[in-house]
Amino acid sequence: MNVYAYAGFSYLFTAAISLFMIGVVVLLNKLMGNNNSNGEGME
Amino acid sequence: MEMSLVATLFPGIASLFVQDPVIACARIFMIIFGFILAYLGFKRTLEPLIMVPMGVGMICINCGVLFLDGGKLGTLFLDPLVSEPGALMNIMQINFLQPIYNLTFSNSLVACLVFMGIGAMCEIGFILANPWTSIIIAIFAEAGTFVTLILGVNLGLTPPEAAAVASIGGADGPMVLFTSLMLAPELFVPISVIAYLYLSLTYAGYPTLVKMLVPKKYRGIDIIFDAPEIPKTKKFIFILVCCALLCILLPMAAPLIMSFFLGMTIKEAEIVPYQDLLENVILYAATLMLGLLLGTLCEASTLLNPKVAPLIILGVVALAVSGAVGVLGGWIVYKFKKGNFNPVVGIAGISCVPTTAKIAQHIAEDEDPFAVIMPVAMGANIGGVIVSAIACGVFISTIHLVK
Repeated sequence: MNVYAYAGFSYLFTAAISLFMIGVVVLLNKLMGNNNSNGEGME
Repeated sequence: MEMSLVATLFPGIASLFVQDPVIACARIFMIIFGFILAYLGFKRTLEPLIMVPMGVGMICINCGVLFLDGGKLGTLFLDPLVSEPGALMNIMQINFLQPIYNLTFSNSLVACLVFMGIGAMCEIGFILANPWTSIIIAIFAEAGTFVTLILGVNLGLTPPEAAAVASIGGADGPMVLFTSLMLAPELFVPISVIAYLYLSLTYAGYPTLVKMLVPKKYRGIDIIFDAPEIPKTKKFIFILVCCALLCILLPMAAPLIMSFFLGMTIKEAEIVPYQDLLENVILYAATLMLGLLLGTLCEASTLLNPKVAPLIILGVVALAVSGAVGVLGGWIVYKFKKGNFNPVVGIAGISCVPTTAKIAQHIAEDEDPFAVIMPVAMGANIGGVIVSAIACGVFISTIHLVK
């Protein structure tokens, strides 16, 4: 692929992996239960 | 006869007259440049941890030239071009920095050791308190990397070379070193020197950029949110899960990923002797060796490489675009949160930990002494480290797709 398409693809791929990783962490937090005393959890 | 007597007694000076005049002038320039870097490090204008050893190394490698066997010119510091095993074993017993170069530098070990130390100083609680905001800002702040890739290829670099210099946009020294060693080993010295030089200047440059992009009345916004208390057990498990996930998704960047998260696990597990070892001994020893080796690799021929000129421009572009788009990310989050956010936090998405978070906090408290945005800024900062690692991993794994 040309460099423009690659730059777009790699940026989106980086964003997707980053969001996926944070999504897994947030899901894990929900599965492990929220231990915050005032009821607020991670956003 | 007189010349050979001078050459015997003062080889460092005689070599200047024997060499090509262009290289001799470049050597003198590098000596002066080394003085400037070391002095600016001493004055704290640039980061002293890197610039003082780098400046000293640069001065000495360009001064300490002598006539070796066969009349060729060289130094007793290190020779990065030796690769044949027999010759390498021989030269390791002569050049005092050769073992450190071959056994820690050219295989990225020193970058990984620095990253372990950085991981041991990072508090994952900041990103876990605000995970989506932190990662979204960090993603915006990574834009400079990809813009610079395009620009680099258009300026004549090969895609791997352009990706190596584009990694400067992530503003993470060890990551730039690792990426350039993997993708463009012939350019890793100028890329790394330029990266560390510019990263030292971010403390001066980024506040100006932020003030251009964020009007006064928005800079002092205090961010009101209750940071949830996250138990150590959860933080530890989250770190392990993130580490495993990123290693499985990006195995080419696994050494760097492991190093960063190893530091974090040691911190969360409160293994105090290891924490002290990483934060104090290993981090500072690795940083010292990194600066010294980068300086001693800056021989005159490095400067004369025609690819150095575009690198100087691309480094600035990478950091400027990352900073500007990071602040744009801050504005988007501000709009989304209906004003309960300070757009200045966007600059903290640049992963120069904790420099850019401190810059964000200073800018906010200059407008309102009671504004506290540091916790949110640190979340974005650490998010930036993670996103930069992912971006570098993506480059290393997929750059071959560019034709």
